[in-house]
Amino acid sequence: MAASIQGLKSVGRYLCKRHLLKTSSSKLLADGSRRFLATQAAQQVALNVPETKVTTLENGLRVASEDSGLNTCTVGLWIDAGSRYEDMINNGTAHFLEHMAFKGTRKRSQIDLELEIENMGAHLNAYTSREQTVYYAKAFSKDLPQAVEILADIIQNSKLHESDIERERGVILREMQEVESNMQEVVFDYLHASAYKSSSLGLTILGPRENIRSIKRGDLYRYITTHYKGPRTVLAAAGGVAHDELISLAKHYFGGLPGTYKGEPPALPPCCFTGSEIREHDDKLPLAHIAIAVESVGWSHPDTIPLMVANTLIGNWDRSFSAGVNMSSKLAQMACQGNLCHSFQSFNTCYTDTGLWGLYMVCEPDTIKDMIHFTQMEWISLCTSVTESEVNRAKNLLKTSMLLHLDGSTPICEDIGRQILCYGRRIPLHELEARINAISADTIRDVCTKYIHNKPPAIAAVGPIGELPEYNQIRSGMFWMRS
Amino acid sequence: MPWSRTGPKMATHLTKCRTWSGFQRFGITTYRKYSSGSGYPNISLSTPLPGIPKPVFASLDGHETSETKITTLENGLKVASQNKFGQFCTVGILVKAGSRYEAKYPSGISHFLEKLSFSSTAQYGSKDEILFALEKHGGICDCKTTRDIATYAVSAEAKSLDTVVSLLADAVLHPRLLEEEMEMTRMATRFELEDISMRPDPEPLLEEMIHAAAYRGNTVGLPHFCPLDNVDIIDQEMIYNYLRSYYTPDRMVLSGVGVDHEQLVECARRYLLNVTPVWGLGPVQDVDMSVAQYTGGMVKIDKDMSVNFVPDKTPKRTHIMIGLESSSYMLEEDFIPFAVLNTMMGGGGSFSAGGPGKGMFTRLYLNVLNKYNWMYNATSYHHSYEDTGLLCIHGSAYPKVVGEMVEVITREFVNMTATPDESELERAKIQLKSMLMMNLEARPVIFEDVGRQVLATGKRKLPHELCDLIGNVTASDIKRVTSKMLRSKPAVAALGDLTDLPSYEKIQAALSSKDGRLPRGYSLFG
Repeated sequence: MAASIQGLKSVGRYLCKRHLLKTSSSKLLADGSRRFLATQAAQQVALNVPETKVTTLENGLRVASEDSGLNTCTVGLWIDAGSRYEDMINNGTAHFLEHMAFKGTRKRSQIDLELEIENMGAHLNAYTSREQTVYYAKAFSKDLPQAVEILADIIQNSKLHESDIERERGVILREMQEVESNMQEVVFDYLHASAYKSSSLGLTILGPRENIRSIKRGDLYRYITTHYKGPRTVLAAAGGVAHDELISLAKHYFGGLPGTYKGEPPALPPCCFTGSEIREHDDKLPLAHIAIAVESVGWSHPDTIPLMVANTLIGNWDRSFSAGVNMSSKLAQMACQGNLCHSFQSFNTCYTDTGLWGLYMVCEPDTIKDMIHFTQMEWISLCTSVTESEVNRAKNLLKTSMLLHLDGSTPICEDIGRQILCYGRRIPLHELEARINAISADTIRDVCTKYIHNKPPAIAAVGPIGELPEYNQIRSGMFWMRS
Repeated sequence: MPWSRTGPKMATHLTKCRTWSGFQRFGITTYRKYSSGSGYPNISLSTPLPGIPKPVFASLDGHETSETKITTLENGLKVASQNKFGQFCTVGILVKAGSRYEAKYPSGISHFLEKLSFSSTAQYGSKDEILFALEKHGGICDCKTTRDIATYAVSAEAKSLDTVVSLLADAVLHPRLLEEEMEMTRMATRFELEDISMRPDPEPLLEEMIHAAAYRGNTVGLPHFCPLDNVDIIDQEMIYNYLRSYYTPDRMVLSGVGVDHEQLVECARRYLLNVTPVWGLGPVQDVDMSVAQYTGGMVKIDKDMSVNFVPDKTPKRTHIMIGLESSSYMLEEDFIPFAVLNTMMGGGGSFSAGGPGKGMFTRLYLNVLNKYNWMYNATSYHHSYEDTGLLCIHGSAYPKVVGEMVEVITREFVNMTATPDESELERAKIQLKSMLMMNLEARPVIFEDVGRQVLATGKRKLPHELCDLIGNVTASDIKRVTSKMLRSKPAVAALGDLTDLPSYEKIQAALSSKDGRLPRGYSLFG
């Protein structure tokens, strides 16, 4: 109890001192007083980070940037489109399209594009997730205009040549082999398939082999015209970027991106969580890879933040970590003392309207049962007996890891792009801190009870999993019976 | 929406805001009185939380223009700092110590020290206490030991500098090394050694092997990972003896990024000057001053390298790494051309993620990966130390083609002595500059750069100065350094199924030939 008060006080002191230290310039003070009514709440807080500026163009495209004056920058397109907008027939299109973006445009051949990027010391990359497609470039700040022009070119003028499409099928099938040899990826794909059985969120990003072999130019073209629209796109940048320059570049190069739909814009395909399991028993693998999760909430739901704190409380661990790391996690202590697993990670994967909160573990075959048991015991203790001091510690850890992560132009740009798509704004750091600060042990118990206690889990397991308990037995470990 | 029913919640925010102005004591307890339930605001993250203070953002003027400030304390310890934007700082102690200094000790002490770092100290009863203390300052800590440097670092709120330096000094100079901590470390080390041998990516193992081959039994060739046989031998006394020899102030730099230099010096004086370390102040003996002796040679590990270690189900691979002696980082006129050469060789996986910019026009892509579809990986690495350096190429393929793979690598080495194309040289220079600048975006990287440079030379070259040096590299510089390099005996590391591996003599012959081919009767190309 004493520790918890101390913890709170130190947070308060930190915020207060920061306020005093950094609000130095009178210009800033004047700025602030203009905007606020004189209520008690009208305090100012100085953040030693640059502002994120957001501008919406006429076609709905949002331009967002944070200028830290570096010599290098990251700029990218965050598009509200991913495999979730696909169905059984065209699953894999979004990812296929991402590949085709680098195959040349009406203006540049593939080799021209590659040489241009490499000669300017830049990097061009892309990824597709279940809900987002992202194209981004890293470059010297002086090359920002060229980087924006290239991004605009590859997403608006991609040639989608039949022969290139044919060639890319082989590349994607090979990529699939790589994914399949990564057990963690396999397990998370199974987890989605199990949790979102009959909805598009359960599909994989790459799509099944037969789709990769059969996707046509028309499918790709249709995906672009349906989804690559102004209002669903964010142009984000960080590092050495002047917002005004970025706006004029955006107007010039993305002004032609359509802003409206002929008919109704496509609705977010609905999803439905089902507690169930997928097992792939294979005794040839040395270790069992298991994920177990309950349904949590979407990105913008207020309970996301308590669930992240709950995640931090469970923590993560790897047996080759040095002695005693992450003693803030009781599960880590148990795993360490009981030699229960090789590693585990707590996760909270969010989508627009749903999420998966759970644990991924890598175990020797004969410790699976114990590891599952202690995991569930810890989950239940989040719902019933987590203490104020444990929660305070997790809150501090969460804040620290979020803040320390925002270092360098790429993580910051990524954060901006994702947040503008998910929340329609970038949450100021101090607001995020305030939201975390408002969490108490009661909040954690309430929220965890709501999402974990007596809820059916989704389970995915691969490897020597003969010892993994039956689904019903795991299911019955999701509630607490007083003995 | 939540907006319209914020009666009790308003109070919540008022209370919370008071936290910011600093005159509350039991913030959360107080606001709980106003709200039923747990009082956590039920407001979508898409909506700004009402009533929180207006942020005043930092402006850009006048940061990061200054150079690195350096002060040497009376005991020889150097304090170096660099300005940087942001509410966090990274501060740490770098020590000129590492596995290269373990000749007179059982190898593995540095590996142990890394795992024992930030365990109990004079001030703190356990690692957990240290972590708990740091968490209150939004901090994390980390230790990394390499062949030549041990780095203890903390990232935390910039205003906690005093606590941070005090904690660092304690962790470096007053570790208790309790028997239970030693026992935990032995266990974690054993697990790590097992994991290293089971990992699908063999780079750490290959790096260890190529160093052992290149510098047989000396300095940077000594094992960095604790050999399994030493795990039970290393004890507290040995470690204290080692620390007494090497953890001396003249071998240390306190480096800080995002801190005020005067304050950092003040903290250094307070916690790092006139301090008696836990191992006492006895005379410093047995300091190993050996200069690295490049020997060349071959180190082989014959074992099944199936992906995920699933025999018969997944492809097997054999890994070859060939290296030659390059240059110490102290010798700038050679070191910078080697760095450019390494970028020009580039390479990567035949199936690596990443788009243009990953080095698609580097030689190992153009001449190797694009040409031979059986090559799974071809990557160039450059390791540089205060007295030597090693340029290596790693290749992997299925075991049957190991002979061809070796020849592909030796031919690339021999081709390095030809005058590079103007455009490929320009591209390599720009890519090296951008890599440097992009890496230096992150605070911990700047911290390490400052610390390492000051430890090595007593000063720091700023990024733009390094960029100028890179810009000045010419084709004849490349020709000059590579011709010299090709005169050294090769170092070879071979891992996997080695049935068809050419002999060391054949590899050596190939490297001293005009075209890099293996001696006649072996080559499948000619």
